[in-house]
Amino acid sequence: MTTHPANQQFDVIVVGAGPAGSAAALLAARAGLKVLLLERGEYPGAKNASGAVFYGSAILNELIPNWWEQAPVERHICRRDIAFMSPTTAVALDFRSAGVGFATAPYNGFTVLRPKFDRWLAAQAEAAGAFVLTSAVVDDVLREKGHIVGVRVRREQGEIYGKVVIACDGVNSFLAKKAGLQREFHPHELSLGVKEVIGLDPAIIQDRFHLTDNDGIAFEYLGAITEDVHGGAFLYTNRDSLSLGVIGQVSSLVERRKRPYELLERFKAHPAVAPLVRGGKLREYSAHLIPESGWAMKPKLYTDGMLVAGDAAGFCLAAGLYLEGMNYAMQSGLAAAETAIFACQKNNFSARVLAAYQKNLKQRHVSTDFRAYRHAPSFVNGPRLQNLYPEMVARGMEQIFRVDGTPKRKILPLTYRMVRQSTIKPGQLLRDVYQVARAYLW
Amino acid sequence: MRIAVCLKYVPDPSTIEVDPLTGLIDAGRVLYMMNPADESALELALRLRPSNGTVTVFSVGPVEADRLLQDALAAGADAALRVWDDSLGSLKPIVTTMLLAAALRVKELPDLVLCGGHSVDRGSGTVPALLAEHLDWPVATDVTQFELRSGRMRVQRRLARGARAESEVTLPAILGLESGLVHLRQASLPNLMRVKHTPIPLYGLEELGLSPQDLHFPAMTLHEVMPPRPRTRVMFTPDIHGSVQERVAQIMSAGVAGKTGKILESGTPEQQADAIIAFLRQRGFLEQPT
Ligand SMILES: Cc1cc2nc3c(=O)[nH]c(=O)nc-3n(C[C@@H](O)[C@H](O)[C@H](O)COP(=O)(O)OP(=O)(O)OC[C@H]3O[C@@H](n4cnc5c(N)ncnc54)[C@H](O)[C@@H]3O)c2cc1C
Ligand SMILES: Cc1cc2nc3c(=O)[nH]c(=O)nc-3n(C[C@H](O)[C@H](O)[C@H](O)COP(=O)(O)OP(=O)(O)OC[C@H]3O[C@@H](n4cnc5c(N)ncnc54)[C@H](O)[C@@H]3O)c2cc1C
Repeated sequence: MTTHPANQQFDVIVVGAGPAGSAAALLAARAGLKVLLLERGEYPGAKNASGAVFYGSAILNELIPNWWEQAPVERHICRRDIAFMSPTTAVALDFRSAGVGFATAPYNGFTVLRPKFDRWLAAQAEAAGAFVLTSAVVDDVLREKGHIVGVRVRREQGEIYGKVVIACDGVNSFLAKKAGLQREFHPHELSLGVKEVIGLDPAIIQDRFHLTDNDGIAFEYLGAITEDVHGGAFLYTNRDSLSLGVIGQVSSLVERRKRPYELLERFKAHPAVAPLVRGGKLREYSAHLIPESGWAMKPKLYTDGMLVAGDAAGFCLAAGLYLEGMNYAMQSGLAAAETAIFACQKNNFSARVLAAYQKNLKQRHVSTDFRAYRHAPSFVNGPRLQNLYPEMVARGMEQIFRVDGTPKRKILPLTYRMVRQSTIKPGQLLRDVYQVARAYLW
Repeated sequence: MRIAVCLKYVPDPSTIEVDPLTGLIDAGRVLYMMNPADESALELALRLRPSNGTVTVFSVGPVEADRLLQDALAAGADAALRVWDDSLGSLKPIVTTMLLAAALRVKELPDLVLCGGHSVDRGSGTVPALLAEHLDWPVATDVTQFELRSGRMRVQRRLARGARAESEVTLPAILGLESGLVHLRQASLPNLMRVKHTPIPLYGLEELGLSPQDLHFPAMTLHEVMPPRPRTRVMFTPDIHGSVQERVAQIMSAGVAGKTGKILESGTPEQQADAIIAFLRQRGFLEQPT
């Protein structure tokens, strides 16, 4: 390897200061490596869609004990709702826990506002000794004899060298493509999320959602919310605001000529949602892509001199019940850092040594989870699960509860009649039941 | 040639969120930046700097303002200096100016001081002129262009209604520049990395040879902040004492009366100043002498 001036040579260059990048930089810096963390935004988090539930509390707790005491968190999640919607009704499954891990340390999940949270996390990496540089857009990778040896920043004399480059530049990773590790995505593999943060008095939030102190709730919505676009919606409580949004598969948005913000407006006007957001004031609006196809989108994860982590590697579990990206981003970032540390010990940065990444990902349960749920995305993104069944459930409940002088039907005949009236064939229904089971049960 | 540039650390207006419930600015979300007019002043200073010249940047502000001075160093400024003192509670332009003037004197006084014309936050536009008063130097404000010609500065100034004025000032001088004249150059990667941990010299009151008493001016206290209220509409009614013609004319003009003013051309500056004061008294803007 050629030598470069010391101030331009790092052990590890991490690109992107999202949860993946900051976690990777933090761990590598703690191991005593010379780490550079590059972020294109004016500050870490500036470019990140704000408002999310972070389910990685236990992971972060290993790095920074009782991290929630110093981090900008909003509320810890101890209620989760899954609602099936028709245009006018909603049936919800309500999960509440005062149990260990939900309402007590280390907690299961926290709502966070990304601009604040990402900034804090990057500051932790900086405190651990990483050199954090913002307003630095990475344009390309640098190669020597086929090995990736650094990156080029879009500035004068922007070449900077690192023994290992960790690409954490988010969904549709420019770097993974430049390195030839990732292909272009198809529109059906990507979803577009549009999100709003709506300001609301904390007292009203506690009242309206039956919360005490810093408890929080996360709602996921399936069914007619996105009309015939494949997708779903969510609503989370922050301290003095709500994060809510709609996620729609890019290909079906295009096909149905639907604009995401129209869906968001419709969502907010739904009779089950409108009372929750009433009186709130819009604070922020943002849109961002989500890699939805899980395992199928996984790029090659390493090459000579480079590793890919987080959304850049497709590690985002967006499958109906789950919308988890930050925790996997962090886990994969840590696994990448462990790999870089190992390579530095061996002083060998070839793909053969970096292949240890796969083992590290498995140890951190990233690849195992994605393999386990590999059937979920394509099926969950299908029209029947995203739109038809949830709507049938909601309509079915409406019929069960309606008292209008007609004879009461029992649930089974009612279901039978609804299936008969719909476009679903009984064989298909059985196959779908099997698929749901395969996707989520075993 | 030694050039000084005054950089103000200001909130980025695009990040300001007013809490709809209290009417207060949500301080946790505000990001700060270099005042835009000062950014072009810095770029123009860097372009003007001869090979044996220097550009030094000054800021009166809290520790966070170091970042902005580091950015200036990354862009090519030669030295930076920050003024702050924890005893400084609230800063009025006159205090800021006094501190800036003292800071300029720390080293040999420069030949030229470039300021922005207005800051985007308080924006009183008074600092360049007050600084001129302190240093007893000439000042040109609302400057859109300048050129150094055999030791004299030729400046173009923007006047009201699109008019321009050309003037000349002798150095040392202070210029207050309009914003948006030029963009600040982008720093190279090595420079950006170099300045990240460059310490910025800090001068407090003591180092500047000032005492808190020197900065004592009648203070203004903030009592309450209220969300804006729409102004009450006043219905126009014509003066019933006037003749029919006068009333019709009033109705036709919907109560709009042109502003009347007077151009003072004759007299000594003192006499002109007296005339202005008399005019303001007559209009009720100044109290009558007791
Ligand atoms: C912590 C803090 C508290 C404050 N409290 C008050 C307060 O209570 N009351 C009040 O009226 N104002 C307060 N201010 C703002 C006060 O500092 C004025 O903004 C300042 O005196 C300049 O006035 P201006 O913005 O109107 O400047 P302008 O005259 O509009 O600015 C013109 C140019 O002067 C230069 N300049 C102005 N300020 C500085 C600076 N600080 N450092 C370097 N160059 C500068 C810049 O080149 C600028 O473009 C406070 C500021 C701070 C940081
Ligand atoms: C609407 C919506 C809601 C979501 N809700 C949740 C949720 O509730 N819970 C959850 O866990 N996940 C959620 N996700 C997914 C989650 O946001 C991502 O999985 C997660 O942010 C991935 O982290 P990351 O670090 O890999 O990438 P990112 O967070 O995307 O960070 C990438 C960083 O790299 C920077 N970057 C990109 N390109 C360059 C470049 N060329 N040079 C320099 N820097 C660059 C970016 O500015 C950014 O800071 C949601 C996503 C969306 C869109």
